[in-house]
Amino acid sequence: MTKFIVRRLLATIPVLFGLSIILFAFIHFIPGDPATAILGQHATAVRIAEMRTYLGLDRPLPEQYLKYVAGLFEGDFGTSFVNGQAVLTEFLRKFPATVELTVAAMIFAAGVGIPLGRFAARHVQRWPDGGVTIISLLGISIPVFVLGLTLQYIFAVQLHWLPASSRFEARSALELQTNFVLIDAWLMPGWSIDQKVGAFIDGVRHLILPAIALGSIPLAIITRITRASVIDVSNEDYVRTARAKGLTEKRIDGRHIMRNAWLPVVTVIGLQVGGLLAGAVITETVFAWNGVGRWVVDAIGDRDYFIVQSTILMFALIFLVVNLLVDIGYAFLNPRIRYA
Amino acid sequence: MAASIVATPLASRASSGLWRDAWGRLLRNRPALLGLVFIAIFVLTAVLAPVIAPYDPGALYPPPPGASSGATGPYPPRSEHLMGQDLQGRDELTRVLYGARISLLVGLGSVIIGVLLGGLMGALAGGAGGRVDNVLMRVVDALLAVPGILLAIGIVAWLDRGLPQITLAVAVTNAPIFARLLRGGLLAVREVDYVVAARSVGASRARLLLRHMLPNAITPIIVAATLALATAIIDIAGLGFLGLGPPDPRTPEWGTMLTDSTKFLREAPYLIFFPGLAIVIAAVGFNLLGDGLRESIDPRLKK
Amino acid sequence: MKRTRSGALLVAAALLFGACAAGASPSPAPKQGGTFVVAMPSDINRTDPALIDDATSSYVETQAMEGLVGLKPGSATEIIPILATALPTVSADALTYTFTLRAGVKFHDGTDFNADAVKFNYDRWLNIPAAYTKLEYTYYIDTVIKPNVESVTVTSPTEIAIKLKAPNSAFLLTQTLIVFAISSPTALALGKASDPDFANNTYAVGGAGAMTGTGPFKFKEWVAGDHVTLVKNADYWDKAHVAYLDGIIFKAIKDSSATLNALQAGEIDFAQTMSPIDGKTAAADPKLQVFDRGGSCNLFHLAMNQTHKPFDNPKIRQAVAYAINKQSLIDTFYAGQAVVAHNWMPPGAFGDKDVKLPGYDVAKAKALIAESLVTDLSFDFWYPSDVSRPYMPDPKGEFEALLRDLEAVGFKPNPKTATWRPDYLAAEAGGQYPMWLIGWNCDWYGPDNFLNTAFFGYRNRSDNTFGPNEEYAEKNDAMWQAMDGALKTADTAKAAAGWQQAADLLAADMPTVPLLSSKPPAPAAKYVMGFVPNPALTEYFNTVWLNKQ
Repeated sequence: MTKFIVRRLLATIPVLFGLSIILFAFIHFIPGDPATAILGQHATAVRIAEMRTYLGLDRPLPEQYLKYVAGLFEGDFGTSFVNGQAVLTEFLRKFPATVELTVAAMIFAAGVGIPLGRFAARHVQRWPDGGVTIISLLGISIPVFVLGLTLQYIFAVQLHWLPASSRFEARSALELQTNFVLIDAWLMPGWSIDQKVGAFIDGVRHLILPAIALGSIPLAIITRITRASVIDVSNEDYVRTARAKGLTEKRIDGRHIMRNAWLPVVTVIGLQVGGLLAGAVITETVFAWNGVGRWVVDAIGDRDYFIVQSTILMFALIFLVVNLLVDIGYAFLNPRIRYA
Repeated sequence: MAASIVATPLASRASSGLWRDAWGRLLRNRPALLGLVFIAIFVLTAVLAPVIAPYDPGALYPPPPGASSGATGPYPPRSEHLMGQDLQGRDELTRVLYGARISLLVGLGSVIIGVLLGGLMGALAGGAGGRVDNVLMRVVDALLAVPGILLAIGIVAWLDRGLPQITLAVAVTNAPIFARLLRGGLLAVREVDYVVAARSVGASRARLLLRHMLPNAITPIIVAATLALATAIIDIAGLGFLGLGPPDPRTPEWGTMLTDSTKFLREAPYLIFFPGLAIVIAAVGFNLLGDGLRESIDPRLKK
Repeated sequence: MKRTRSGALLVAAALLFGACAAGASPSPAPKQGGTFVVAMPSDINRTDPALIDDATSSYVETQAMEGLVGLKPGSATEIIPILATALPTVSADALTYTFTLRAGVKFHDGTDFNADAVKFNYDRWLNIPAAYTKLEYTYYIDTVIKPNVESVTVTSPTEIAIKLKAPNSAFLLTQTLIVFAISSPTALALGKASDPDFANNTYAVGGAGAMTGTGPFKFKEWVAGDHVTLVKNADYWDKAHVAYLDGIIFKAIKDSSATLNALQAGEIDFAQTMSPIDGKTAAADPKLQVFDRGGSCNLFHLAMNQTHKPFDNPKIRQAVAYAINKQSLIDTFYAGQAVVAHNWMPPGAFGDKDVKLPGYDVAKAKALIAESLVTDLSFDFWYPSDVSRPYMPDPKGEFEALLRDLEAVGFKPNPKTATWRPDYLAAEAGGQYPMWLIGWNCDWYGPDNFLNTAFFGYRNRSDNTFGPNEEYAEKNDAMWQAMDGALKTADTAKAAAGWQQAADLLAADMPTVPLLSSKPPAPAAKYVMGFVPNPALTEYFNTVWLNKQ
């Protein structure tokens, strides 16, 4: 097993390199470039050419790529062409916001989805099952922005139960240090315990609506896959044997079904992490969340190459690690899967 | 002697019985039947739209009598316009009905392409195992790590805008997921007894794949594919949100209609409700039926 | 807090008593304190006013920075002295503007404001590092200071003389832009504001020394992508107009519906802008109020480029003008909060004239098309797919309406779209689109900003000649003479006549079809008092106070 983990970790390096080359080529071949984006209405052929030279964009592509990679090793992830901000600094400032949002969304999705899926599987092909399917499909069929704005309208504007947007109350004196609101609440110097708890709860309250909006999609998928997986496993021979032996349904559920049903569920959770970025962009726009999603999409529009390349590479790294954990989880849960 | 005489008729009866059993099981599955009904409604609407629609999808209609401003729209539902009128003054019901045609094409198209692309990769990886598996899955990992948005933006930027390009973009985004699911399913099945048995008897790899492994690994793909049909339409709405939708704004496509109406969430919620309801019905239909199909085919589910 | 509350109550009670006695209805006395949370449609770009060119950055930095002159609160055109004691005296040859400066004013960092500080700033602009120009940060410096200003001389600690290269009737109005606010030279040095390598510059990125001016609010912090915080300047030089608010937080909320929700949920106090349709919803909410900005400083037009057929034919362009139902656009997309354009600039500007543009007349449009003898009526018609502008809140919807109007008279437009950045702007500016949607949000409320800078002034072209703007390819030398004359004269009557003549000539040519000027709504909570709206969006918050506990 250790050998497997080490080998997989080592394998991530060529993947990242390969990905960086693919990304680099991809972005540079998309029509348009930061020069055009920066110049906007002032873009004339002459000025675009000048700008490209100034920005170093007219150097041969391999040279630009090597310069970029050399910078990576020094910890320089590039700077924005549009406003000169260092990519790494901005990423570290914005990434925690997206992490808090996506983790909250996954907790919601898995916390509600897995029990729902199991419930549906226990009543398979009867109406409770169909009902769960319909509810989870509602989640996936309503676009995130419609859901987000509707949740804002109902819970913030009409009921005043939850805040409408942002990560914490604008008028509070909270200052961000790690950029994780839920951590920074505790780090405020000179605040009483009451104030810290208050700020923490404020942060959690601000997370609820965006997490539900963003989590509605993985919720549907996790519910359905859990249901399908539990159904499949319930009908495996060893489960039927257990039933025949007289084991209680509860014992069967815990020891036999869930352990094996976890596999596809865990796979899907791992896959969802990547897909959440798309939903995060829209959620961050609707809820005025200062995260990476919106930043990256705007950068793509501006052809702000370094932001796009570095951010996606960092995401890729995270994604690869998450999926490695998933694959390790596979082996734990099902000893019959051997890795060559 | 007696065993072999008994065995043969049983075997042939079992094979025709499998499909008949499956069909019978499907008919008894109420939610699945509901799904079938929904899909029928969806497909019939798409096919018969010009016949059943009350008006022309591009035609404009006057505001209701007593409207306070000269705006061309939007106006809430009334007897002449059961789903209301959109911003330009067109009949919303007609547009929703015609929208079924495009959504059907786009949804099915992107899922089929995605399953073919991804399934091929996943089958190769899961069937071959070993090094091939490793390499292919690392490629899939890399593709999965690239956010779908970037892929979509890239494809649309290269190939210009249009519904076919968006369909391709959505398909390419989903393909890696299908690849991973199929490969995972195949992996799990490889070590199952009957497969090991078949292999020890000397069955060729291809035969193993096609006859034994694929039918059993296909379950998660069916689930994912039916879900992908629903999400395809939503993905297009999302792309529209980012400004990558079809260029002709008059196209009646549910996802685009939704995106364009978001600004009226408060003032004209019916413009969001009706296309949204249509999408939900289509999504529910495909998923309920997909579940039912899967469960009725699965030979282990003998209820 | 408590003291203020009971104090305010006492004052209110006294006023009420006094009002009952006097028989007049009192306006409540302003309350001190409170944080004003303002929603902006985007984040600022830089914290150095000299390096900005966008509306959001201007709006925010207007609260902290001041220039020699500025706009009178509530007026888009009336210039008042701010750091100068009076409007400048202009020399006989119209080249030298002499300003007398206020004494005893201090920058936020405690250093003195004086003539040397002003000269430091102007010299800095004249010598701004080439890198900043290459990065497109210095648009206003390049178009206003460098071509016009020859030198700046200190004649006494409170007197400064700015010498121009040639007479320019618009110069003083341009100096009201917040781009030309005076920053503290000490802070500029501390923040390396003119460092040739932008990476070392902290002044412009919210770091050391950032946004150090003389205004009623001081810069506190900029969390990029999220918000800007300003705090009250208790030592503001104008003692009569010290701010009531403790501070302002400018939050970036991109989506209009989300802004409306935040306003109604009580999380923000004021939205700088909102879509007209959401503005209508806000107006109907009893807990909110919508300030009337009175007018607007933008123009939305249906643009055509004369190097593309069929728009080289003047009758076709006139036909397009008659084909469009402008009032219907205003009713549908602007909730009535816009006026039909009668010139290529918003009404009420200096030198404005109603040039009697064509109204909605389908028959006339068809007749003109027939007269033009043009048979191929097909062309590409472009719209931007992912943006919302104050003059064009719903590009896609408005595009559909215009498409319909054009088709109704026989044109065959081919719908095309591109994203605003980087493609649409660059392509339309280069004259690549035959017909497209575009507008102009003014830099200052003057005819030159619209007719000359934005639209039809002759300029340096990409083929290194001086001539018509490639965006529209409108070649009319008489029009350019009129504009150029208006720019170069110091006689206001002559200038006005020049702009009007230019507009008449444009009306005969119809290079584009001016549609409307829209009035962006300014919704706020009911307890926001003392806000003075301005059609040019130059609004000061030092008079704002919050009528709540």
